[in-house]
Amino acid sequence: MSKLKSMSALESVAVPGRHGKSDGPAGVTLQERADLGLATLEVRKGQAAALDAAVQAAYGVALPNGPVSAVGKGVRFVGVGPGQWFAVSETHANEALANDLATKLEGLASVADHSSGRAVVRVEGPSVRDVLAKGLAIDLDPGVFGDGAAAVTNISHMGVLVWRDGEAFDLAVFRSVAGSFYGWLEEAAAAYGLDVVTTS
Amino acid sequence: MRITCPYCGARNLEEFTYRGDATVKRPESIEETARDAWIDYVYLRDNPAGLHKELWHHSAGCHAWLQVTRDTTTHEIVDVERVAKER
Ligand SMILES: [Zn+2]
Repeated sequence: MSKLKSMSALESVAVPGRHGKSDGPAGVTLQERADLGLATLEVRKGQAAALDAAVQAAYGVALPNGPVSAVGKGVRFVGVGPGQWFAVSETHANEALANDLATKLEGLASVADHSSGRAVVRVEGPSVRDVLAKGLAIDLDPGVFGDGAAAVTNISHMGVLVWRDGEAFDLAVFRSVAGSFYGWLEEAAAAYGLDVVTTS
Repeated sequence: MRITCPYCGARNLEEFTYRGDATVKRPESIEETARDAWIDYVYLRDNPAGLHKELWHHSAGCHAWLQVTRDTTTHEIVDVERVAKER
């Protein structure tokens, strides 16, 4: 059997270049974060304190206790629910992250690989909050949703996990709706000008 | 209508799924003698005017089950708590 070819969720969907309003600087810049390691972890019963200690030892960061993210050695842990986190890594690409977590947190948390199940895009720029507000019913004002803040919610009726990294927003959607999501975003950003940047 | 999830914060109704009355209790017995208790549990509901406890699932958010205390005459939500006490 031949190995399936790995391809990004937005390949030939998000066409690099300028979309919508073409004059002046782009209001929003979009970049796909392909080949990230993505995994969920959920604490096992009665293991909360032991899990905290193990994450601290292995990744040098305390697991967040609410809808915020904490950045450790090579891994960002995003709080997605009570006792549940979504882990994101550039250094542990694709399924390597879930393997690393499962090894280091064995018996303390249940780990599932989500690397090929989600598409992650990074959006930023002067109009980014205006564009996201068209489909995201949460307050993105920095006073409320500051650096590291996270939310599991809907964007234009599609499930999304969003977190803030400095001035940028990262959005993770299920891979099966990546095309619909991008279509919505391109439309929503057209009035401000959208710049799609290639990563690979 | 908005519900303030203890984990996620205030979110709109679109994110939640209604399950029903939070006060009904499943009968312990499955014997024929518990028939009336089962009919009550499965089919019969009070329709109170005023405060009512109901179960809501934060299905598009943190996936926690919530017990919401709502005034059925004004829709005012006076309390929201997680059903699961600890993880
Ligand atoms: Zn919630």
